[in-house]
Amino acid sequence: MPQYALVIDLNTCVGCHACATNCKEWNTQASFGPLSDFDPYGRNPKGVWYNRIMTYEMGEFPDTQVFHLPKSCLHCQDAPCVPVCPTGASYKREQDGIVLVNYDDCIGCKLCSWACPYGCREFDEADKVMKKCTLCIDRIYDESLPPEHRKPACVLTCPAKARFFGDIEDPNSEAYRMIKERNGFVLFPDMGTNPANHYLPRTETKVHVDEHLLEAENPLFLEVVRRHYKGG
Amino acid sequence: MHPPLSLIWFFLTAGISIGLFNFTYFMEFLTLFGKDTALPKHMVLISNVISLVLIGLGAIGASFHLGHKLRAWKAIKRFHTSWLSREAVFSGAYGFTLLIFALLRFFDHTGFWYHFFGIITFILGWLSAFSTAMIYASNRFVLEWNTSISVLYYLNMYLMLGSSAFLALTYFYRKEFVGTYIFLTFLFLALGLAFRLAFNIRQFYIKRPTINEALNLPHNRPIRVLDTGTTTDNYCTEEFYYKKGKELLPSILPLAYILTFIVPLFFVLYMWITGRVDYNFIKFTFLFIVVGSALERWCFFVEGNHVQNLFYGLYPEEGYTLRKGYMERKKTKISYR
Ligand code: SF4
Ligand code: SF4
Ligand code: SF4
Repeated sequence: MPQYALVIDLNTCVGCHACATNCKEWNTQASFGPLSDFDPYGRNPKGVWYNRIMTYEMGEFPDTQVFHLPKSCLHCQDAPCVPVCPTGASYKREQDGIVLVNYDDCIGCKLCSWACPYGCREFDEADKVMKKCTLCIDRIYDESLPPEHRKPACVLTCPAKARFFGDIEDPNSEAYRMIKERNGFVLFPDMGTNPANHYLPRTETKVHVDEHLLEAENPLFLEVVRRHYKGG
Repeated sequence: MHPPLSLIWFFLTAGISIGLFNFTYFMEFLTLFGKDTALPKHMVLISNVISLVLIGLGAIGASFHLGHKLRAWKAIKRFHTSWLSREAVFSGAYGFTLLIFALLRFFDHTGFWYHFFGIITFILGWLSAFSTAMIYASNRFVLEWNTSISVLYYLNMYLMLGSSAFLALTYFYRKEFVGTYIFLTFLFLALGLAFRLAFNIRQFYIKRPTINEALNLPHNRPIRVLDTGTTTDNYCTEEFYYKKGKELLPSILPLAYILTFIVPLFFVLYMWITGRVDYNFIKFTFLFIVVGSALERWCFFVEGNHVQNLFYGLYPEEGYTLRKGYMERKKTKISYR
């Protein structure tokens, strides 16, 4: 059975939020209707985002790595958000494995968001229904678009080319190859959800840092001063 | 988790309604075995009207939790997998058969159909209660709820509410059963206290996932949240992490224990031991249980920690501490020379 998904390279993702912004842009103007925004230019801007980028730091100083993790619905193969829905509004498509919400059936009970271990569903306070990443189903099947544009908006926009899209069950797809060749992994593997979206791990890089730089409060500042005096 | 007031309201109304019907019909049921427990007609009717009004008000209240109330009828489509769907169907059917039962009593039809609808209503009431309890207990991503203790003490609280409400009715209409219901109220209060304690003690021993498990990264490397992508809270942080509630929990939880269990137990034991049955005590026992249970439910929600909070660094680190233990977002400190 085909299973479309995103594969995201944590090595190259620079956390620029372009994917999130373009996702919001596309999904606000396309067939699924606007994603609400409250107080967008005020002190407490709030709204629905299908894709959010988190930034983490791993390791202990000075051996630390910062990485960015874009997280949208992972289109789980055993999606726990689907069976709990009382109305059948949440469903997983047979033909491509995309998990969707039927806005006409959703009663806004929020139970599906309780059942998602990843926090990938958001309640739209304006429309009073649950929303989530659609894997840009309205782009990938749109025959009026040139074939190279029949990809999710977030994939097309990523300036670092960190995002790939395809059928992870099809050995000929880019997504399948990426996962196999570069040890793709999934979030929260123990939860029994079997997410379709994969992440490509970071390669470890070791950088030697001088002792005296570690002690300075702002190592970069010290480096600048040193270079300045050395005329470097 | 953020406590929805409409769900606390549904708990109280459905709890009193189903609990009260449970004991009302139980007394009627015993007459089938030749026991002298038949209740006067107006007692049955008063009890049924209270149950009907409450389950109706409960359904209206619970609908405020829905984004689209008018579509609530659609909640029958996934009966075979969704506990919420089952709850909606069973509680609706319970209200309907309860109405028929009350009408039969009103027209003095106390034969086969009276007991038939009594038994059906009894079963539907408990199926509805069980389904509600399972909505919480089956959520495997809120570890505090994901236990059979949640179900047991949820159902027991319906019995607590029901027996104390029925105690007030027996005081007026079948005084000879007051002693029995003082004992039953005591029993369910004691069991409730035991289940609630077990629920709280269990929270110290749950094996909690870590942020490393959530991100599927090496377990021997510490991971910190630097930024969650927005400068303000969003749906996920507000729904699954209730900051104000976490701050108030250490004060409200003991209060909930005192109001729900300790004070009513004191009243009931006093009546039991001294034999002085005073309506004021009965009344206050019930009122304390109701108010206490509302607070108890509030705590139940706030105590629940959804694993999605791991991604935001808002999950308890290890073990369970009431006051601290929630990771704060790392603050960036910049010093200029
Ligand atoms: S990531 Fe969440 S919302 Fe998406 S399919 Fe999985 S459980 Fe459902
Ligand atoms: S919020 Fe909508 S999609 Fe989610 S479980 Fe309820 S009815 Fe289904
Ligand atoms: S696939 Fe489409 S809807 Fe999903 S995150 Fe990317 S742009 Fe947004």
